[in-house]
Amino acid sequence: MSALDVRDLRVVYRRKGEPDRVALDGFSLESNNEMLALLGPNGAGKSTLMGVIAQTVHPESGELVSPSSRNGLSIVFQTPALDTLLTVRENLRISGALHSVPKGEIESRIASLSVELGISDRLDEQIRHLSGGLARRADLARALIPHPSLLLLDEPTSGLDIDARRSFWDSMQRIRAQLGMTILLATHLIDEAERADRVAMMARGRCVLVDTPTRLRASLGERVLRIHTRNPEQLEPVMQWVRSLNGEPHRIDQTIIVPDAHSIDVQSCPIDGVGLTIAPPTLEDAYSIRTNEGALA
Amino acid sequence: MSGLGAMNALAKRELIRQTRQPSRIIASVATPLMLWVFIVGGFSSAMGEVADAGTSLTAYTIPGMASLTVMFASIFAAISLIQDRHDGVLRAALVSPAPKWSIAMSKIGAGSLLALIQALIVLLTLPFLGVSLTPTGVLGAIGSLLCISIALIGIGLAMAWIVDSTQGFHGVMNALLMPMWLLSGAVFPVEDAAGWMRVIALANPLTWTHGAMRDALGMSNAFNPMLAWAISIGFAAFGAGLGIWAISRTNKP
Repeated sequence: MSALDVRDLRVVYRRKGEPDRVALDGFSLESNNEMLALLGPNGAGKSTLMGVIAQTVHPESGELVSPSSRNGLSIVFQTPALDTLLTVRENLRISGALHSVPKGEIESRIASLSVELGISDRLDEQIRHLSGGLARRADLARALIPHPSLLLLDEPTSGLDIDARRSFWDSMQRIRAQLGMTILLATHLIDEAERADRVAMMARGRCVLVDTPTRLRASLGERVLRIHTRNPEQLEPVMQWVRSLNGEPHRIDQTIIVPDAHSIDVQSCPIDGVGLTIAPPTLEDAYSIRTNEGALA
Repeated sequence: MSGLGAMNALAKRELIRQTRQPSRIIASVATPLMLWVFIVGGFSSAMGEVADAGTSLTAYTIPGMASLTVMFASIFAAISLIQDRHDGVLRAALVSPAPKWSIAMSKIGAGSLLALIQALIVLLTLPFLGVSLTPTGVLGAIGSLLCISIALIGIGLAMAWIVDSTQGFHGVMNALLMPMWLLSGAVFPVEDAAGWMRVIALANPLTWTHGAMRDALGMSNAFNPMLAWAISIGFAAFGAGLGIWAISRTNKP
């Protein structure tokens, strides 16, 4: 049985005086013993999906097959869920009690996790006295105290600077190797999604595509052409030029991305003043194209 | 899963938080004491003794001031739910396997303990005002104050669950609780009041809880003690049930 298995979920937010908003629209996903990144723009339904899995949001239809209960489930939210007046140790003890971890076991887990996360010398400091990065690591420790089989990370590094983010992920990778668990990461940061074993691209409550980062990049061929212009009137002529070369242009705002562009000669572009770049595809290219398609579908 | 373990841990958290915010305790005790000084200073010469039992207004109002202390402490306990929601602590508790009643009961348990300690400070002035405290009297006073704190924290939790802001919560609670307290025999005997005021006072559970407390302390009391205790316990059960029900029925992390 998979640690995570959701089928055909549909969630609609209904508020008086406002139009209904479909947050999840037939969303299905399965995951086990891997880190799966949910990559999507704001409003794509990532946090709603987290809520359904945590059983704080109830779908109109569809099925949450696994996890069937909150046992073995832990969440790191967008902001730390810690009591700022309590010390790190006191917060971790409460987390252990909420998850029914035996008292003796709680202390040994606090000791090992705090070493692993580099907060062992800050255990007896109140959260309000810690930096944002340290508070994040303390919050990760809070979520890991029950040794979850499924860990949900909901944009866990939002608000952190580059060094703090790197430190967070270094710690996360070490712990993941030790504990072994299924991780579902909701993010809109491409570099974070690159760390995942698989990436599920979301748009408008739907799962557009699920695959490994390598295969998602490879799906765009060996090279892509990126065309950028500040003049919107140039976009249509550029797209016509690409089509005349049997290319398949994808317009994302002021940029046009063309997959499988190895045979296109950029020198032949008849429009002046546009920026053309041929390069290996990135996950961001795949994300832009697939979520744009998903949004338009 | 152990709901009791979770409840104990969360209650302990409330107590630790209290020790790190001493201003909360000072505010809960100081406000009723100041109010008491002003009320007694202003009215005692005009009113003299209360009712027919020879109790001075100074002593008569002390149980009411103790219940006001409990009321302020209960509001603080309930309002912490809104703070927990904003801090994310509530979300972490709601998505844990711990039963939701443990969240409500931790607030009620720790909040009541803190409220009682603060109210007892006020009650300890009674021997200096000519009312002797007996062990039974103190136990009775604790029991009635406990009924008030359980009821008010439970009602406050239900309100805090509905209202999103601390400002809105204060507004609702003040609109509900201050008239309830004033018409409960806290500062003047309502049993002698005429007409509509007496009707409202008799429908007010705090009136009966004050009656039970005065009876336990050996002060003048116009109410049937058994009925007063039954209504007080019922009030506590209602409040606790409302708080648990509110937190358990929906998810609002």
